[in-house]
Amino acid sequence: MPSTRLVADIEKQLEHFRLALRLEVGTEVLVLFGPSGAGKTTVLNAIAGLMTPDAGEITLDGRPFFRRHRPGPAVNLPARKRRIGYVFQQYALFPHLTALENVAYPLRRRRDGPQQAMALLKKMGIAHLAHRYPHEMSGGQQQRVAIARALAADPQVLLLDEPFSALDTTLRERLQRELRDLQRELELVVLYVTHSLEDAFAVGHRLAVIRQGQVEQMGPVEAVFRRPTNRQVAEIMGIRNLFHARVVERRATGLVLDWDGLRLEAPPQPAGVGEVVTAYIRPEDIKVLYPDRPLRPILRPNQVVGRIVQRQPNSSFQTLRVALANGHQVEIRFPVYAYAPLSLRPGEEVHLSLRKDGLVILHPPPSRRSGSEPSGLESPPTAADRM
Amino acid sequence: MDWQPLLLSLRVTAVAVVLIFGVGLALAVLLARSRFPGQTLLETVINLPLVLPPSVVGYYLLLALGRGSPLAEGLGVRLLFTWPAAALASASVGLPLMVQAARAAIASVDPALENAARTLGSSEPEVFWRVTFPLARRGILAGLVLSAARALGEFGATLMVAGNIPGRTQTLPLAIYDAVQNRQYAMANQMVLLMTVLAFLSLILVRRLEQTG
Repeated sequence: MPSTRLVADIEKQLEHFRLALRLEVGTEVLVLFGPSGAGKTTVLNAIAGLMTPDAGEITLDGRPFFRRHRPGPAVNLPARKRRIGYVFQQYALFPHLTALENVAYPLRRRRDGPQQAMALLKKMGIAHLAHRYPHEMSGGQQQRVAIARALAADPQVLLLDEPFSALDTTLRERLQRELRDLQRELELVVLYVTHSLEDAFAVGHRLAVIRQGQVEQMGPVEAVFRRPTNRQVAEIMGIRNLFHARVVERRATGLVLDWDGLRLEAPPQPAGVGEVVTAYIRPEDIKVLYPDRPLRPILRPNQVVGRIVQRQPNSSFQTLRVALANGHQVEIRFPVYAYAPLSLRPGEEVHLSLRKDGLVILHPPPSRRSGSEPSGLESPPTAADRM
Repeated sequence: MDWQPLLLSLRVTAVAVVLIFGVGLALAVLLARSRFPGQTLLETVINLPLVLPPSVVGYYLLLALGRGSPLAEGLGVRLLFTWPAAALASASVGLPLMVQAARAAIASVDPALENAARTLGSSEPEVFWRVTFPLARRGILAGLVLSAARALGEFGATLMVAGNIPGRTQTLPLAIYDAVQNRQYAMANQMVLLMTVLAFLSLILVRRLEQTG
């Protein structure tokens, strides 16, 4: 497989922080994941040539797009010469042009432009919409036109900025699949900006968590989600119920943790006895137990009693905040239809089980274990209360 | 009715409109798409003819075009008391209307569209003519029509720099003034009616451009 390689090493002073990061992307989908305002779009704009970094180097297969304050001659190739496909957040289709004219726009100097554009529309399954204007198309159709247009000039790199955020779930899933197929077929280098975890999982090979203009963690999507290296990453990934605990026992079947007096069993994970670790459990992995029903074996460990502090119903799930005997609170989430026979009103006592396999310890990379602990870990162990 | 003033007025206005289009569009792009020191100052200077008496605008033009000015002495351009001077006077007075409308229209074009065009291989002039201009066209045209109507009706500044020479620099508004002075009321009535109809039609056109745009 011919491997294309995009390397972006950029620095830029933004209003609230300094963007400084380095990304190497091959023929794969790299997801830039992070909260809004973290600098993700800025990275795409720098690569596309729409924003000039203060310093750095951007190369595609060794060919420089941009270079400043780095060894070698200064370069700043204008956007039009970089030949990068860019799918903008709100599609950015030209409203005065039809679907076909939009896709043919980058091909305007080629005699076979219209035929090429038509072939692309066919490939995206929207040939029948060729003569419609953007305002006459649905969001999903516009998105397909936008992707076709970005691919028209036959780019090696495709940038997508929150491309499916405005679409409904079914359509989103279909487009996610199509995007992955396109990436494989055309051997594209794809950078995909999103703040939706579902998107990241569905399209990404690798994930870079961006916060305040820095890469917090980068790796295979699964790995980053399973093992966030620090608390910031965990928070960005939407992980609730973070806490500090001491490892009190190591067994073949797992670890025993002490969370301020609460003994919890966790699955086997690398951690030494006596070590204070940051761990989390997802709100979905805490189950409410029926007092009058037999217990499933999987819920036998880690049973605790708590008092409901707050209940927040939502359209599809409910959230409970429960105060535990050790003085901390946990968040529990379950579908609206679950636990219907229980009243679950604030002030009531509930029996819970913190699923053993849901208890995950966060692992900072080896370089950070000694000396420079991530700042968030220095705060007192009231983590769960603050979230 | 004497057709001479009307024909002259149309010629003066046509030249003024060409000037307004070129200069006004360039200024509108500059003001809509970039931030630079002295921007407010430039805008204020452009808008001055809206509030200054036309005689003051005419006086400045007189200084710019007259004897001793760089234009007259350095380049040997002698425009005073010719119809091109009337065109310049009309253009100066009509310009702010064009700049204001065109600038608003250009500013309302989503910059993401221009960026999209750049990533699709367009140079800056191409971005403007293929994306920005077509999308801002109605607003720009509305500004142009409005400024053309204003240019057609120019009186004061024109009188200062072009004079009121029948057959050479006497435009329609000046001819109306003369007709009234000479108590030729029938002629004045015809010309006044003509001016009113033209102004009325322009305003209707501007309104339609702005509504559907």
